Amino acid sequence: MSKLAATIDAYWNKGLAFLRFAAHALRTQLTTLPPRDAFVSQFVDAGWGSLGLLTMLTIFAGLNLSVQSYGSFERFGGQDLIGMFAGIGGVRELFPVMAAVVCGARIGANLAASLANMRISEQIDAFEVMAVDPMRFLVAPRLWAATLALPLLCGYADFIGLGASYLGAVYQLDLDPGSFLTQVQDQVRMVDVFAGMFKGLLMGWMVAIIACFHGYTVKASDGAEGVGISTNLAIVHGAVLCIVVNLLLSWVMYG
Amino acid sequence: MKRLIDFLETLGALGAFAWQVFWSTLTSPRYFKETLRMMDVLVRRCIIPVGLAVAPVGAVISLQGIDVFKLFGAERMLSSFLGTAIVREYSPALASVMVAAQAGSSIAARIGTMKVRGQIDALAVMGVDPVRYVVVPGVIACLVVTPLLSVITNFLGIASGWFFAVPIGGVDHGAFMEHLTAQITAADLWVGLGKCALFGLGVGVIAGFLGLRVKHGAASVGKAANDTVVNTIILILLTDYVVSMMLLGMGL
Repeated sequence: MSKLAATIDAYWNKGLAFLRFAAHALRTQLTTLPPRDAFVSQFVDAGWGSLGLLTMLTIFAGLNLSVQSYGSFERFGGQDLIGMFAGIGGVRELFPVMAAVVCGARIGANLAASLANMRISEQIDAFEVMAVDPMRFLVAPRLWAATLALPLLCGYADFIGLGASYLGAVYQLDLDPGSFLTQVQDQVRMVDVFAGMFKGLLMGWMVAIIACFHGYTVKASDGAEGVGISTNLAIVHGAVLCIVVNLLLSWVMYG
Repeated sequence: MKRLIDFLETLGALGAFAWQVFWSTLTSPRYFKETLRMMDVLVRRCIIPVGLAVAPVGAVISLQGIDVFKLFGAERMLSSFLGTAIVREYSPALASVMVAAQAGSSIAARIGTMKVRGQIDALAVMGVDPVRYVVVPGVIACLVVTPLLSVITNFLGIASGWFFAVPIGGVDHGAFMEHLTAQITAADLWVGLGKCALFGLGVGVIAGFLGLRVKHGAASVGKAANDTVVNTIILILLTDYVVSMMLLGMGL
């Protein structure tokens, strides 16, 4: 019983520490300008660096969406509705979420690993000794970079994924291209793409703040193991959070 | 050109490594206790993230699907679609992605840390094959645990889909339950579990491979954990597509 209490206590303290960290980071992010060069290099790394991975994954996800839903819809005799399914399921949900989860995992892991590595090699302490605010110079540029890069990646994923679904439906499943396009035009509005990008904006900030928290709060004495653990935590918490937040946002937007 | 050669070299090394793992599994000595311990650790670590990740998917399918099915006056059929989509496609794929995120990255980080600290070399010096003792238990544990988790997430996904369809969406409970089981066949369940085992195997092998390739320094441990997740997700989506095409061709 006391073990359980101790566990709950530990989680509670960790949660409080996270909220304090997030509040501090948000204040720094909004009140001071991040150093330009650091921001640009982080942004290029987060956005451009994820592009190849994301393109490849969304092509497969789009093809999968067509091929797999064909199997499910065939049972009702509704295989001609794949355009509508790819439009609604893909553009509103699957492509933005997948972009957020996968790019979030990549970006978050990089952020956590780099900050944790700086912490265990005592570079963050060196910043503090020199009276340079590590929040402003290390955390804020990373937060801005992820927050601004992820919506763009989500929007990009929508187009690539829908294109792949079209190719899968028309060239592999021999469905009528005209009817696919008509259904997509009927169902998908530009608003849906923007909704996906808005989701990306929120998820990007959350993934980044969680990753920064796990990386920043590694103890210097934990060494290489601490880097591995914080990277792992950043990936897992980020991915779970993206999926849960997506449900809540979809509920508010479409429910 | 150099990058292409590097890539092919890595791919070849991965193939050789996979063969080594396979051969080590077939021949003794085996470390059953370590394997059981790994399974125990993986189940405890993965069950919450995997559950939390798959449960919302059922809810989203109901949330978005209900309007579409209402368009055709077929909202009673929503559960048929939900059931097949969860059991066959989304539960295996997402459970495996989360196992890759949680178990894969922690296995790679653990092996990488051991490598950095020289513990892997110490094992080899003591005459214990590191692949047998460290990698094989992880691979077997992933192979067994992923389908088990997928069984749980099947229920979670359908339960959350029920919650968004029946109390919130206003579908009749009896109709939901009746159509739920009407379309799921035994083949669907086996396809889902088989995919999970395949993906779990991939997670274990890639995590062990990248973990053992860590050279030195804490930064490369983080990179190994990260690379494991990214590469296994690519592998999962690619395999999923190939398997789906094959099954479609076979008419399953």
